[in-house]
Amino acid sequence: MQTTLSRCFVLLGLSVSLLARAQGTPQSGGDFANNPEAHKLPSETILVKGAWSSASDSETPVPEGGRVANKVFLNQYFGLTYTLSPDWTERYTGPPPSDNGYYVLAQIRPADTFKGTSRGIILITAQDLFFTPAGNALELMNFTKDKLNADYKVEQPPALVRIGNHSFVRLDYVSPVAELHWHALATQIRCHMVQFVFTSRDTKLMESLIQEMGRMTLPVEAGPISGRGGGEVPVCIKDYAQGENVLERIDPLIAERRFNPIPVRIIIDKEGKVKHVHFLSAFPDQAKAITDSLFQWRFRPYLRDGKRVEVETGIMFGRAPRQPTSSSAEAVNE
Amino acid sequence: MKTMKFASVYALLVALFFPAMAFAQTDPGVRSNTGVNAGQPFASVSANANDLAFFQTGLGQFNEHQTVTGDNPGLGPRFNLDSCGACHSQPAAGGTSPASGVFPNVGPNPQSQVIANGVVNGSTNTIPFFVVANGPVREARFPFFFNANGTANTNAPNGGVEDLFTVTGRADAGACNLPQPSFNAARAVNNIIFRIPTPTFGTGLMANIDDSTLLANHAAQANNGLGIGGTFNHNGSDGTISRFGWKAQNKSLMIFAGEAYNVEMGISNELFTQDRPLPGEDQLGSGLPANCLNLAGIGYPEDTTHSDGTSASTVTSDTALFNVFMQFLDQPTPSTTSPGGATSIANGRRLFSAVGCAVCHTPSLTTQPSKLTAGLGNATANLFSDIEIHHMGATLVDNVSQGGAGGDQFRTAPLWGLGQRIFFLHDGRCSNLLCAIEAHDSNGGEASTVEAIFDQNLTPSQQQDILNFLRSL
Repeated sequence: MQTTLSRCFVLLGLSVSLLARAQGTPQSGGDFANNPEAHKLPSETILVKGAWSSASDSETPVPEGGRVANKVFLNQYFGLTYTLSPDWTERYTGPPPSDNGYYVLAQIRPADTFKGTSRGIILITAQDLFFTPAGNALELMNFTKDKLNADYKVEQPPALVRIGNHSFVRLDYVSPVAELHWHALATQIRCHMVQFVFTSRDTKLMESLIQEMGRMTLPVEAGPISGRGGGEVPVCIKDYAQGENVLERIDPLIAERRFNPIPVRIIIDKEGKVKHVHFLSAFPDQAKAITDSLFQWRFRPYLRDGKRVEVETGIMFGRAPRQPTSSSAEAVNE
Repeated sequence: MKTMKFASVYALLVALFFPAMAFAQTDPGVRSNTGVNAGQPFASVSANANDLAFFQTGLGQFNEHQTVTGDNPGLGPRFNLDSCGACHSQPAAGGTSPASGVFPNVGPNPQSQVIANGVVNGSTNTIPFFVVANGPVREARFPFFFNANGTANTNAPNGGVEDLFTVTGRADAGACNLPQPSFNAARAVNNIIFRIPTPTFGTGLMANIDDSTLLANHAAQANNGLGIGGTFNHNGSDGTISRFGWKAQNKSLMIFAGEAYNVEMGISNELFTQDRPLPGEDQLGSGLPANCLNLAGIGYPEDTTHSDGTSASTVTSDTALFNVFMQFLDQPTPSTTSPGGATSIANGRRLFSAVGCAVCHTPSLTTQPSKLTAGLGNATANLFSDIEIHHMGATLVDNVSQGGAGGDQFRTAPLWGLGQRIFFLHDGRCSNLLCAIEAHDSNGGEASTVEAIFDQNLTPSQQQDILNFLRSL
């Protein structure tokens, strides 16, 4: 009896296993895995990126390349060095640049060791002026003031100020309901509005932080209505890659329609060739196609004081071309 | 004397600490004292007998339980549940994930009950680890396909829905024998993410906001001084702004309905015309086995327009009825007094805007004229969303790309009806508003500065006003 029962179990076991095989035992791969000891994916890590920033080489500094290290925020692209106040720190890095050219360079806030009674936030941002209607940082700050919604009251409209050896345009506003103040100081570097935004309910704290900005280092070109590159860095000219400045042009072949704006900054060398391509936001296939094409473009070399100089300009792919602005005319006349 | 001394010290301690305790901010929880404030059709729909009949037929279909064969055929062979309304039920049909013991007591997570309710066979299916009675309804996705050795293949993005259950073992499923995906193995290698149902109240209004309105709102928020960028997801066919789903991946409510019917319930329809295998079943070149196809025995698509119908609502397919039902669902009605009182709510609303939450959670947008019903046209949609996708950073990343949205980009979740939701964020990880707000502070996230302003620069009383305001919605 026992033997018969055992045989039955064996047969049943065989049948079940054969049946399972016939129905397709889950294979490894696809939606099925059978090795729970396998290597884990890292947590809280962005592995799948959509449109993102990238560059044609890793040596040339890019705006988003700044870092806080040893209590100093250093951004090589902007030539900016900013020493953090004691007990202030960068807790989180910012997002990638937006497709309208807005960068979060650093977010500074009190560290856990901070002993002060009131707190605040320092946000360092940059807006690429190639991809806004504004001609300079002063214009953009006026735009910001005009767009402030009813929650805020302007405490000080945009005005030129000097802190240490540096010139800024400063806009102060307050939210009465939140009892919070915003003090924004902006300067222009390489055709970006670089902005320091201080937020706190303690205006004394804010003023002391602002005064510490006098210690920062900025390039000589920095200023509310200057900051058009030059010197050690390329001259920046809005809409240079248009009209008769472009001697040879090969349009990129982008196979897949994605409908996203693709803002690109390029550096043109003294011979009129593209030497560096920086995508503020692009999918990898878009970046490859556009890079391949841009390296075949040829430009009229740019002369300043009779000498050829490098030029940095912006091109928006993925959208209908914009009409040239007055800034490009200025480039031709220089 | 000792007693006196103790009493003095105690009084001093109470005086010192009580104010802080009194103002410690808390999520007021699901609003329960104002009735159910969502789930009704527009007044213009109620006033039109034909429209109302359409709406009510749509509601009936929305709540109907599907089976593999029989009167409501087509379920499976893989599915997450057997009815739209079972998942979209809090606080009313069309909403989101319910829970027991929370107003209005819709019931436990229906996915946790599928064996008890006979929807799946307990000898062939198990309840996955992430489905629990008091937790949210969830769908699961594997961000990456697996290698043969069980590791996640980061060169092979997956991200498609891995349906939780199969019809295997059901009396009406014939010989179809399908395994469930490897949820435990996926957990072991950290290759699994979750999504909860999005509420559909007011979605007809969202569908009827013109792109120009969205683009103007986007431009008005530029250079906000808060670190917020944002962009739109676009429909791959016509390039217009898409708006539905956690990553704004779906262009219209009809597509949203058709995809959900196919993906969540396994019912083919006029938009998605085949039974859906798992992503890997197609990737491995097999598709669904032959004995799992056409289980209903009615051919494809399983849901169709009915040429033998006798009225508009009986001619219409289930998918189109779902669409009508969602289009005609009015936006939730906020409370002006609860929780916390009118003053606190009004203050919280102003604070919400002042600290920058409203840069993304746009309080209202105006719709364009509507041919469907008057309630949808030239209306103020109080959605608290810009319908843009934003980088939410490493804390919330799910590494699933949909349309133009990358792994950490999510549509600004509309906040209307928030006062009567139980679970928050795309995967339902939070059931407390403070948890959800905290998750906005993240490496690589656009909302970090705003969250830090909320967290570190507002008083507890101000924070409480914002929480009260949010629960008033």
